[in-house]
Amino acid sequence: MDFDIIFGNAARAALGPEAIILALAAIGLNIHFGYTGLLNFGQVGFIMLGAYGTSVTVATFGWSLWAGIPIGLFLALALAVTLGIPTLRLHAVMFAIATIAAAEIIRILIGSTDAIGLTGGPLSVSFDAGAFFDLNPYADGPQDRYGVGTFAFTGQQMWVITVGWVLVALVSLFVFLIVRSPWGRVLKSIREDQDAARSLGKNVFWYKMQALMIGGVIGGMAGVIDAIKTSGADPNGFRPQVTFYTYTALLLGGAATYLGPVLGAILFWFLREWIESFLRQLSAEAWLPNAVADFLEGSEGIISVAMVGLALVLLMLFRPQGITGNRTEMQLDAR
Amino acid sequence: MPADRPPPEGPSAPEDRSMLVDSARRTTEVEPILTVHPEPGVAKPNPILTMDGLQRSFGGLTAVDVDHLEIERGIVTALIGPNGAGKTTLFNLITGFDRADSGRWEFNGQMVTSPSPDRLARRGMVRTFQLTKSLAKLSVLQNMLLGAPNQVGERLWAAPFRHLWRNQERANTERADELLEQFNLSHMRDELAGTLSGGQRKLLEMARALMSDPALVMLDEPMAGVNPALAQSLLGHITELALSGVSVVYIEHDMDVVSGISDWVVVLAQGQVIAEGGPWKVIHDEVVIDAYLGRRRAGTAS
Ligand SMILES: Nc1ncnc2c1ncn2[C@@H]1O[C@H](COP(=O)(O)OP(=O)(O)OP(=O)(O)O)[C@@H](O)[C@H]1O
Ligand SMILES: [Mg+2]
Repeated sequence: MDFDIIFGNAARAALGPEAIILALAAIGLNIHFGYTGLLNFGQVGFIMLGAYGTSVTVATFGWSLWAGIPIGLFLALALAVTLGIPTLRLHAVMFAIATIAAAEIIRILIGSTDAIGLTGGPLSVSFDAGAFFDLNPYADGPQDRYGVGTFAFTGQQMWVITVGWVLVALVSLFVFLIVRSPWGRVLKSIREDQDAARSLGKNVFWYKMQALMIGGVIGGMAGVIDAIKTSGADPNGFRPQVTFYTYTALLLGGAATYLGPVLGAILFWFLREWIESFLRQLSAEAWLPNAVADFLEGSEGIISVAMVGLALVLLMLFRPQGITGNRTEMQLDAR
Repeated sequence: MPADRPPPEGPSAPEDRSMLVDSARRTTEVEPILTVHPEPGVAKPNPILTMDGLQRSFGGLTAVDVDHLEIERGIVTALIGPNGAGKTTLFNLITGFDRADSGRWEFNGQMVTSPSPDRLARRGMVRTFQLTKSLAKLSVLQNMLLGAPNQVGERLWAAPFRHLWRNQERANTERADELLEQFNLSHMRDELAGTLSGGQRKLLEMARALMSDPALVMLDEPMAGVNPALAQSLLGHITELALSGVSVVYIEHDMDVVSGISDWVVVLAQGQVIAEGGPWKVIHDEVVIDAYLGRRRAGTAS
């Protein structure tokens, strides 16, 4: 058992593109769920449109990546509007159902064989992200590695990571600025009691719509990074569990906090990768009974996700505010 | 019910509060309403709110059935009636929180065509709720600031740029602090509203409503659960509000309170206005006493 390898893998996942994508998705969801109280169970839909908007623009229409990115973000915005207009006035539970359904419908449409000509259908789509990597200042020869041991990235990865974390920082700053303003105060009042907000003259529908749009576009950014990182998109990457991983990260870090979604995303990937690496090493240990080794073999990924879920359950029991949240706020719910 | 209390000398109760207010102003403010004949649906000299044929039923139950009712501007009007009379429902209809089956109403000289709660609030009609709606995870001060109208910082484009709204925020904070002082909540200013007691929440909700400088304040049982000493000072605030030109309608069950601060009283029973008039007249009205005791009388419904 080599803990250096386990730790290296975990640290790489915690700082790598996957964590960036999850962090952006969670920052967007934090605006929906954390600050406005919108039960958006379809965050993956926004990510998907960001990713496919970018990919399809470049791959199918042959336009520049720099046109693809805004188109991806615009599609995420358009989803927020079309989803919000009919559903934001409904009960919170109806809204939740509508969001999960909308995301699945989009995924099924994108992945259907009828859409092959446009989106690649079930075959996934890939494009040349050269326009992005042309700007890469890191040397990325086949021998170039940045880091130590298993905690190392290629030059291309370094470029994605650098841009990604800068984006996370900028978006976090933007969210901090708008949430601490009177505008953010209205969002929180809607989360607490929308009738109270109405009685004070706030147009609840419009504020919810703004929140849905901003959080959706930030989700779209996650999709853009995902598309660039993989130079494409695959419908299987946008199943509903992506939304639930996003919730897990958000709740781990602490909903309605500024750093919660980012820390949560880092922690999520660290734990997930640590456990998976650990199990993989474990299943190779000679002293392990064959039955156990066979059980572990190939299931490390699933078990590690289950363990992260378990960690979330324990967290909800013992520290329901998440790692950065405020305890006294949570206790108010019991009153 | 203070049925055994003698009616005061002179035309009405307002004299009772002469120590609270400048009596000269008082007289000019209240005089016109005293000339109004006390009968259900009577026209008032200068109404801020006029309702016509307002109806709302839940299944077979008619909760509100108001033929015609006017609320006079700049005075304190009490809305009383037994439990289940439809007082809260009437509030909900007028403020747009519930939809009337039929009927029209006019606020501040304008017909209310599409009653949306937030639009009505922005037009100057604010209300409080019988079951208090404090925003638990916001501080008391933040609750207050939410009440302030026309905030630049509540627009998304201005939100990230603090210098655009800092001064307004500071002014609103000063106003909030004044109100918190008046409502004995200064010491709780930075606590989360969810930590307040039930009575304190009532106070906060009322203070928050006043942040918007409303034209009409509608308070649903503002004194319920507030300790007597504080209730006394609340009554003072309500009177002062009317003096500063704000119209107040409040729902209340305590007849001592009603007779103490109301310029006018409207009685609702089974959804209908069965009586209105000066407080002493109404409280001792046979029809009203019967309604409270649950007795039905032929011909009360008009
Ligand atoms: N949403 C609703 N659904 C069904 N019935 C309702 C609803 N709201 C009110 N009612 C009924 O309408 C009637 C009037 O209720 P309302 O709350 O207006 O009474 P109230 O005069 O405010 O009473 P109280 O003094 O007890 O607060 C009651 O019989 C109540 O059961
Ligand atoms: Mg009531």
